[in-house]
Amino acid sequence: MAWATRPCFLKAIMINRGESLKALTRRQLFQRCTTGMGAIALASLLNDDVLAATPTGAMDALSARQPHFPGKAKRIIYMHMAGAPSQLDLFDYKPKLVEFNGKDVPAELIKNERFAFIKGTPKCLATPHTFSKHGQSGAEISNLLPHLSTMVDDVCFVKSMHTDHFNHAPAQLFVHTGSQLQGRPSMGSWLTYGLGTPNKDLPGFVVLTSGGVAPDGGTALWGNGFLPSVYQGTQFRSQGDPVLFVSNPNGISPQVRRESLDALGDLNRLHLAQSHDPEIATRIAQYELAYRMQTTVPELMEIAKEPKEIHEMYGTEPGKTSFANNCLLARRLVERGVRFIQLYHWGWDTHGTGTGDDLTTGLPRRCHETDQASTALLKDLKQRGLLEDTLVVWGGEFGRTPMNEARGGSKFLGRDHHPHCFTIWMAGGGIKPGISHGSTDELGYHVAEQGVHVHDLQATILHCMGLDHTKLTYRFQGRDFRLTDVHGKVVEKILA
Amino acid sequence: MMTLRFTFAIYFPLALCPIVLAETPVDFVRDIQPIFKTSCIECHNARKHKAGLRLDNRLDAMHGGETGISIIPGHSKDSLLMKRIRGEGDDDRMPVKKPPLTDQQTALVARWIDEGAPWPEAADGQIATNEVHWAYVKPVRPALPSVKHATWVRNEIDAFVAARLEKEGLELSPEASRENLIRRVSLDLIGLPPTMAELDAFLKDTSPNAYEKVIDRLLASPHYGERWARPWLDLARYADSNGFEKDRIRSMWPFRDWVINALNNNLGFDQFTIRQIAGDLLPHATKDDKIATGFHRNTTINEEGGVDPEEYRYYAVVDRVNTTAAVWLGTTLGCSQCHNHKYDPFTMKDYYRLTAFFNSSTDETTKGGGTDPYDISSKITVDSPEAIAIQTELDQLKKDLQSQLTAATSKATSQPARDKIAEVQKRLDKARKFSTSLVMVELPKPRETHLHVRGGFLSLGEKVEPNVPASLPRLPATQPAASTRNRLDLAKWLISTENPLTARVTLNRFWECYFGSGLVETSEDFGTQGSPPTHPELLDWLAVEFMDRHWDMKAMHKKIVMSGTYRQSSDASASLIEKDPSNKLLGRGPRFRLEAELLRDQALAVSGLLSRTRGGPSVFPSQPAGVWNSPYSGDQWIESPGEGRYRRGIYTFMKRSSPYPMFTTFDATSRESICTRRPRTDTPLQALTTLNDPAFIQPAAALARVVLREGGTTISEKITFAFRRVLIRNPEPSEIERLTALYQRELEQYQHDPKSAAVMADSGLGAPPVTLSAPELAAWTVVSNVLLNLDETLTKG
Repeated sequence: MAWATRPCFLKAIMINRGESLKALTRRQLFQRCTTGMGAIALASLLNDDVLAATPTGAMDALSARQPHFPGKAKRIIYMHMAGAPSQLDLFDYKPKLVEFNGKDVPAELIKNERFAFIKGTPKCLATPHTFSKHGQSGAEISNLLPHLSTMVDDVCFVKSMHTDHFNHAPAQLFVHTGSQLQGRPSMGSWLTYGLGTPNKDLPGFVVLTSGGVAPDGGTALWGNGFLPSVYQGTQFRSQGDPVLFVSNPNGISPQVRRESLDALGDLNRLHLAQSHDPEIATRIAQYELAYRMQTTVPELMEIAKEPKEIHEMYGTEPGKTSFANNCLLARRLVERGVRFIQLYHWGWDTHGTGTGDDLTTGLPRRCHETDQASTALLKDLKQRGLLEDTLVVWGGEFGRTPMNEARGGSKFLGRDHHPHCFTIWMAGGGIKPGISHGSTDELGYHVAEQGVHVHDLQATILHCMGLDHTKLTYRFQGRDFRLTDVHGKVVEKILA
Repeated sequence: MMTLRFTFAIYFPLALCPIVLAETPVDFVRDIQPIFKTSCIECHNARKHKAGLRLDNRLDAMHGGETGISIIPGHSKDSLLMKRIRGEGDDDRMPVKKPPLTDQQTALVARWIDEGAPWPEAADGQIATNEVHWAYVKPVRPALPSVKHATWVRNEIDAFVAARLEKEGLELSPEASRENLIRRVSLDLIGLPPTMAELDAFLKDTSPNAYEKVIDRLLASPHYGERWARPWLDLARYADSNGFEKDRIRSMWPFRDWVINALNNNLGFDQFTIRQIAGDLLPHATKDDKIATGFHRNTTINEEGGVDPEEYRYYAVVDRVNTTAAVWLGTTLGCSQCHNHKYDPFTMKDYYRLTAFFNSSTDETTKGGGTDPYDISSKITVDSPEAIAIQTELDQLKKDLQSQLTAATSKATSQPARDKIAEVQKRLDKARKFSTSLVMVELPKPRETHLHVRGGFLSLGEKVEPNVPASLPRLPATQPAASTRNRLDLAKWLISTENPLTARVTLNRFWECYFGSGLVETSEDFGTQGSPPTHPELLDWLAVEFMDRHWDMKAMHKKIVMSGTYRQSSDASASLIEKDPSNKLLGRGPRFRLEAELLRDQALAVSGLLSRTRGGPSVFPSQPAGVWNSPYSGDQWIESPGEGRYRRGIYTFMKRSSPYPMFTTFDATSRESICTRRPRTDTPLQALTTLNDPAFIQPAAALARVVLREGGTTISEKITFAFRRVLIRNPEPSEIERLTALYQRELEQYQHDPKSAAVMADSGLGAPPVTLSAPELAAWTVVSNVLLNLDETLTKG
């Protein structure tokens, strides 16, 4: 390093490093504190416009912050089954449907109803699958989920979910952003805005997709909406760079990168000394963080090094795109302190138009792709003591009709979109294990007891994380916005 | 009599003398108003009217709230007010935040209603309204303030800025260097840095109006329209796809080109407004006028199976109302979709009256199920430059064939020409597929518009006629009858000089682009909840000047960039930064990170890769595989051939469900709805992008080639050459020294690693000429990569 030994230059750099600290104003230094008083003070200013007023303070914006009250969960893994799994064939057994199988659905139920595809008077459809009871809790679930049936005592089934939307994109957006229209921040963005993230070498909100295609709602599902873009979900891809542009271009070795970053930093410091703009100091730090991500991200993605029994447990195959691989990655992300991990698995839209999407072939295939891995994730978290403070959620965007869709006279069994009731399950941080909450009527058409609206679910998830959904707000275009809009009640009965 | 009754009530408590009460009529002032005052008014008043209900004056109280009429005179049992006071039904008992009314109070209110709910005029005192918010008062041209330091004042703007600085005991900063100035003003006016020839010409020009000449050149440049269309397209939510699940591709680029051309032709902002809101309704509307109305066809379309088309049509109409209010009025009108605005003087009725203007267009929201995805009704056909070029080529080929045939050659020899014609015809058909633009078309008979209770699309309330918000200036008296008012009447009202908002809001947006923050920081909200202007008189002066100059946008841009305020150096002492960290007082020049599109444009420009081709269908620059991936769509991102991938960012294909990743990383939105102000973040993902994205590596490699070809002989000369192209100034000796060290170090590395050197020298541009040394090219690429990542490069300073 011939240049570094030249005294005049060395002196310039050193002086400039000293200057860079001076250039930070007290206010900015205060905001830039990542621990101690600064962090606490920042948390108290969270609803203030401080974050909005200093949009460049990415590091501060992601600093770990105190919740409104101590939450049982520290992080979330949300497994979204895009397309909407059939609750009637997986979790919500209805003997009455067996009795009514093939008969017209009662006219009063479908009066004034709008369906996505069903036309005329549809016929009731009993599940073609068998159900049995499991565990001490006696949870009754379908034979399509043999793995999950071994963990039912750790899980809370919410059978009385309902939503306002019955088309995929709006309903998915509704679950993740609280609005059926595009352009609102998603749950993971709200959480990283509210709580920051403990590991700054990785994004705080990570998205993993499987099932062949991205979910219907598109990237808006993990968009930051009107929140600053530091809160945007970062999609880890299974092909190419896991995070876009995390790899050096071909021909630039890690050493060349390090040396060029050193030069870049030195030149930026020279400029800082002249212009005194503290934003330059922030940028220098962001480049160093980027450099660290170039190591931490590939390390994280290397699942091949996991022991054999772990691969057997999850059913993972390194190098492939699969839900199983994503489940294992979710655990590795949890271990590294990532705040919100969102998994999407596409293909649950079982209309029954062919073998690909019917109840007897298509649905079992999706179950086969997911049951082992999602259960393994629960077990693995539990054996590592991580389940206590990790909230796991599994579910779709709406339910499916108790009637056979029979689109165009299709002979394959299938069910149409159904917003009035569906089942999700939750486990871990803050959730009562081994219970079933709410119920539906005899035909599984409407919620019978203890309905849980999507906004209630969102309020409950935030509550588990120690956040009051009515207080986590952001002012945009003259209004304080929330994840739950002006709705939502915490479902106290399912809290541990 | 009054006194007597009053005394009576006090001495004989109500419960003790029911008989007397039953015969004595309830007195509103004595019995009811106090109850309203203690139990209701806090939430149901002029400023805060929960559920749309006000109980502070007769008219509003009788009108009721969102859920209907609350008081039905003579029928207490059916009156919603009584149901809520008694806590009947599913809703909370009123008042929620206070103890419930006593039985006696409840009985009194019921009797008052049964007796016809008399509300004497004398008691109809509304809670005194506060004085009118500044933004709703028409601006008048303020006198220029006197300034002690007259030398600071180059034009009117500076008088206001200097006066304020003097008041705070601060000074204007010295003028920026010439190099700095030409870079700043070029980036601001055309979104591209100056070329070396432009820089040299300016540095050599010693005439007193050298700077003004630069400005005039830039304002006349066709790139001016491209640069200023960028923020406008954020407001217009322009995109090349429909949004939502299917997110099918749409042809909309003629609208984008209309905006660019209108700006380049310096169409007045009044006409710019009229054409976009109502160009189709102008007498003798031209094709261009119609294309302009695409502004409000940029709304998203949900084509998912089973969608109720009326539901999404309603959302599109609502979006048009909210967008119009945000763009022209700087008003967050969206609040009044569900209830009267809590803070600003806009009622739900105002909202739906405005909605009525937009409720009668023919746009269908879906044509799902196998129809041509481009064929969504109400479009107009325009030939792209590409289609025109292919047509010309085709005509020529046909002509050639004709002459071949007349030359009596055999059919066999003419076959290649025939094949060629067939192939070109195919290309023409393909190009024509992208030759339409969505436009607004009015229905022959307008739809009826109703209030939507709590904003729900199915819950219709009372019918309303098109009109402007009651708290703003009325439509001119000469307006047609309410039922025949249309978008053209609204457009003319928006740019009426009586309108207190449009000029201020527009000028404030210009100011924001130059200085990083508007004079009103919340450029999207001029209401009582927005931030007050830092320089209110300057804002008014600019607004009046804008209108007096007949909405001449270029004139206003020139006024701003000619000011001494704009020309200040952005370097600041630590003490000035301490005193005014966000430069609200404007005591130094602007300094902030360039926006997404400009960052890429700049890298392409300084490396010589930039294609300056303008207009036509959007293009596909290189993007990693797998970014475009949505269900039910066979659309693929196929990199544009040739210069297509090096065109300006404004021409990059904008698919809402997967926007160009580099842009969103740098705070661009996916254009699903209006973006009034992009946040400016600084993240590690941005660093990874400018370090590693081929969109930035290719320019680095291209610059390396230019350096070796044209950069002189010594390393120091070459560094100066590259540095100057990127940063538009000469490097300091310390900078040359540091870059030389880097270059020598990397050259040594690449000399020992020819494989990597060859890869770097190529970097996706194709193999370099054999005359250039691969290790040198690789090392210069690393140096260029550093230059393109300097904070100073990423920043307008």
